[in-house]
Amino acid sequence: MDNFLGWEPKDVLVKHGPTKLLVNKYHWHSPRVGIVASYTPTARDVEDHFGVFRGVDQIEAFAQATTGTCNVFLECEKQGLTPVELMEVFLPRFISVGQVIFHNYLEVDDTFISIGNIKFYKFRQMVCDGRIYKVPAGLDLDDYFSDFNEERLLAYDISPDFTLIADLSDITGRAIKKELIDKLSQL
Amino acid sequence: MERQEIIDGLVEILKTVRTINQEKLVGVTEDTDFIKDLNTPSTEMINIVAKTEQKFDVEFDDDDIDGLGSKVKDVVDLIIKTKEKEQ
Repeated sequence: MDNFLGWEPKDVLVKHGPTKLLVNKYHWHSPRVGIVASYTPTARDVEDHFGVFRGVDQIEAFAQATTGTCNVFLECEKQGLTPVELMEVFLPRFISVGQVIFHNYLEVDDTFISIGNIKFYKFRQMVCDGRIYKVPAGLDLDDYFSDFNEERLLAYDISPDFTLIADLSDITGRAIKKELIDKLSQL
Repeated sequence: MERQEIIDGLVEILKTVRTINQEKLVGVTEDTDFIKDLNTPSTEMINIVAKTEQKFDVEFDDDDIDGLGSKVKDVVDLIIKTKEKEQ
C-alpha cells in the first residue's frame, strides 16, 4: 500500500473507538511527510459542554489523525504487518503535547480537518506539528485535497475559506510493546 | 572506545538538551539515572538516543530502545554492544 487513502480510520486506529475514535476520513497522506484527516463532532462529543467540542478533544483528534495514523503506517510498512496485526504487539501511547494555541472553537456538526506534518520519527516515536481548520460548509474534502502536495501541506496552503481553529506543536506519540506495558503494570 | 570517553560524549549531548539542568551534569557517572537524577523528560530520552547514534556513528535497533534502562551505564553498554555487532 502507498498510503492510508481509502482506508477507514477504524481499520487503522483499531484500538480506538467507537466512541473514542475522533477521525472520520483521510483526505491526503504522504507517509513520510504528513496527513490531512477530518472529523465532525457528534452530539455525544459535546454533551455536557454547552455544545462546544472540547479543546482537549481537538488535541486528541489531531493526535489520532497525525502521530497515531502515520506511526501505524510506517510501522506496518517496516514490519510487513496489517494494522490489526501490529496492534496485537503494540499499543499506541500519547506521550506529550508541546504548545497549543486555540484561535477559535468548534461546535457540534462543524467538520474540521487536522493537517499534520511529521517532524521526527525514530524508535517508534513520532512528533508532529500542525493545525486544525474548520471546513467551509458543503466543501467536498476529497475533491479539494485530490491535488494537494507536500509543499502545500508544509505551507498550510489552503483556501482562506477554512477557519483556523488551533496551532499545535510537538504532539508526540509512540508505539509501545504490549509486553513492556504489561511488565510495568505488574510492578 | 573507552567507557569514560563515551560518558564524556554523552555529557556533551546532554549539554545541548535545554530541559536538563546543566548544573547536574557535573559529576555524571555510569550510575547517573537520566530520569531520576537529571530529571530528563521521558520524551527527551528518544531524542538523546537519536543524537547518540549520530555522535557515536552507530545505529540502534528499535527493539534495543524498547528495553533500554534509564542509567548512563545502559546507554554506554548499548553503544559498545552495537559497535561490536557492527564490526
